[in-house]
Amino acid sequence: MSRWIAAGIRIASPIAIAFALGFILFAATGYDIAEVVNGLWQGAIAAPGSLEQSVRWAIPLAIISFGIVITLRTGEFNIGAQGQILLGGFGAASVALLLPGWSPLLVIPLALLAGVIGGALWSAIAGVLKVWFNADEVINTLMLNFIAALLIQWVTTGPLKDDATRGETASTPRVADVFRLSDGTGVSLELIAIVVIAAALAWIIIERSPFGLKSKLVGSSPRVAAWQGLQIKRIHITTYLLTGAFAGLAGALEVLGPSARLVTGATPTLGFTAIVVAIVGMLRAPGALAAALFFGGLQAAILFLPIVSRLPSSGLRIIEGLVALLITAQFIWLRRRRNRRRQS
Amino acid sequence: MEQFVVTTIRLSAPLIFAGLGGLFSVRAGIFHIGIEGLMLAGAFVTVGFGSAIGSVWLGIAGAIAVNLLLSYVYWLLIDRFKADMIITGLGLTTLCVGGSAFLMNALFNRRGSMTSAVRLPQPVVGPQEGILAYVSELSILAWLLPLFVFIVWLILRRSRLGLHIAAVGEYPYAAEAAGVDISRTKLIAMLITGLCCALAGAELSVGGLAAFSENMTNGRGFIALAAILFGSLEPIRTTLAGLFFGLANAVGINSQIYAGESNIPRQFILMIPFIATMIFVALRGVLSQRRISQGA
Repeated sequence: MSRWIAAGIRIASPIAIAFALGFILFAATGYDIAEVVNGLWQGAIAAPGSLEQSVRWAIPLAIISFGIVITLRTGEFNIGAQGQILLGGFGAASVALLLPGWSPLLVIPLALLAGVIGGALWSAIAGVLKVWFNADEVINTLMLNFIAALLIQWVTTGPLKDDATRGETASTPRVADVFRLSDGTGVSLELIAIVVIAAALAWIIIERSPFGLKSKLVGSSPRVAAWQGLQIKRIHITTYLLTGAFAGLAGALEVLGPSARLVTGATPTLGFTAIVVAIVGMLRAPGALAAALFFGGLQAAILFLPIVSRLPSSGLRIIEGLVALLITAQFIWLRRRRNRRRQS
Repeated sequence: MEQFVVTTIRLSAPLIFAGLGGLFSVRAGIFHIGIEGLMLAGAFVTVGFGSAIGSVWLGIAGAIAVNLLLSYVYWLLIDRFKADMIITGLGLTTLCVGGSAFLMNALFNRRGSMTSAVRLPQPVVGPQEGILAYVSELSILAWLLPLFVFIVWLILRRSRLGLHIAAVGEYPYAAEAAGVDISRTKLIAMLITGLCCALAGAELSVGGLAAFSENMTNGRGFIALAAILFGSLEPIRTTLAGLFFGLANAVGINSQIYAGESNIPRQFILMIPFIATMIFVALRGVLSQRRISQGA
């Protein structure tokens, strides 16, 4: 029991410090803290439609973070979720736009599958380069994010261009309404069912499958894993495929759900926030789900805040950055306590 | 043609400042993913503080001070508090993206972008004919670039500090056995990275144009990181990699202007440096693997 309390403190304290530092900055620059707190409360929970918006953002964050939990447990730094989301969206949009007259019962599963495969293959590029070419995955996933963004820019201004769009943002035409899993709010029974299935799958993979056990061993002590005769390369490749599959699914759901189309430059920070969600969720599926609700609420508040408060939404980005900055730090007093417990 | 060369230099200069700055950290074994954020902070403070006080040089001095502080905090977190350097680096970048946009709004009451009251001097002035007309666009920092590259090369390849940094990054146990203070060497390397990123941000914001806009670095810090790896962690090769990235960017921009002449979409040209980096990093990975297995 005390283990859980300690873990709770370890997660809650950086978040509390981040909010405290953010509020000090807001107060110092002349904003009314009560107004900001009210805006957060309204934007994430209380105002009409707010809770829906929080869930709307929690859905992709949860799904992406399941994949990131798997990659981090294996000790791989796949920070390419941003690109994998785009490729997943591309897969789903292509299927939905190329088969307009077909039955939704056929097209929706196909589109989801195309999204999953798109994300998984994009992620596997970094995996193959890591496993067989010993190339650092951090730089490669970063590069793949850039390449994916350019690729989608080309797709949405070229082959799948929507001639009706005006202005700066390029996008594909709208997906037919029969193929959509939710309206613009991004919350529906179908989407929530998919999240629950994804969470159950992630939980089984992580906690109850031979792969989960092996990948944890590879991540925590690769030498022991090698001595045990585990096929480390195969485990790594599977990890990359799974991470990309989850991110790709999230991208597909964006296209079939709230946005109804593939848009250039949509959701630019989702992939990064999902990494923070995975860590705050203590690298477990249920934890990630809970953390996704919290950060989904924060994301909803970020979009809502400018409406009710003078505080610009970038203020909450600061808090998000501070959380990421502090969340992995091992503060001395906690370390001392742990050492003391080990001695006694 | 002359314009093309000048455009390449202008696009490369921030990448080279940030890349050579980041080189200090990367050679010390820190995969400094916060470069992106530090560049942005440098750009914002140069414009904000410089405009408020009316001097571009004091603006840059302020940017350097802020970046030294941020680098110190980053060092404190990853060295003293054993935080994960990748996650913390991403956090640093997000903090700077949010912080610069927020402070622009809170202190200067501007949303999206603000113009700078100051800009870097452009030593070659006047709308002359020919080459000089284009060259006059280059800021003093761009002119000082060769000197900067030389100083970085001197420190990294010909000084005791450079040797210590390389030792800490490549084989920390040996460095420690030789009496090198690992923590302190990392701190110095990261402070130098912060300083150079301030210059990169200044060149970006008040070198060519005179403005700051939200997230104006737009991934240039990550590209600088790619230039370091593409340059095999060597100062001269990193500089060349930075020039190559700037060149590809210039070609991409030009193909947009002269649309119709070529059938290759602009996006594919802009992809080239990223794909080249991936291929190059993979080739190097294979070679280093072979070297290790031969050595064993």
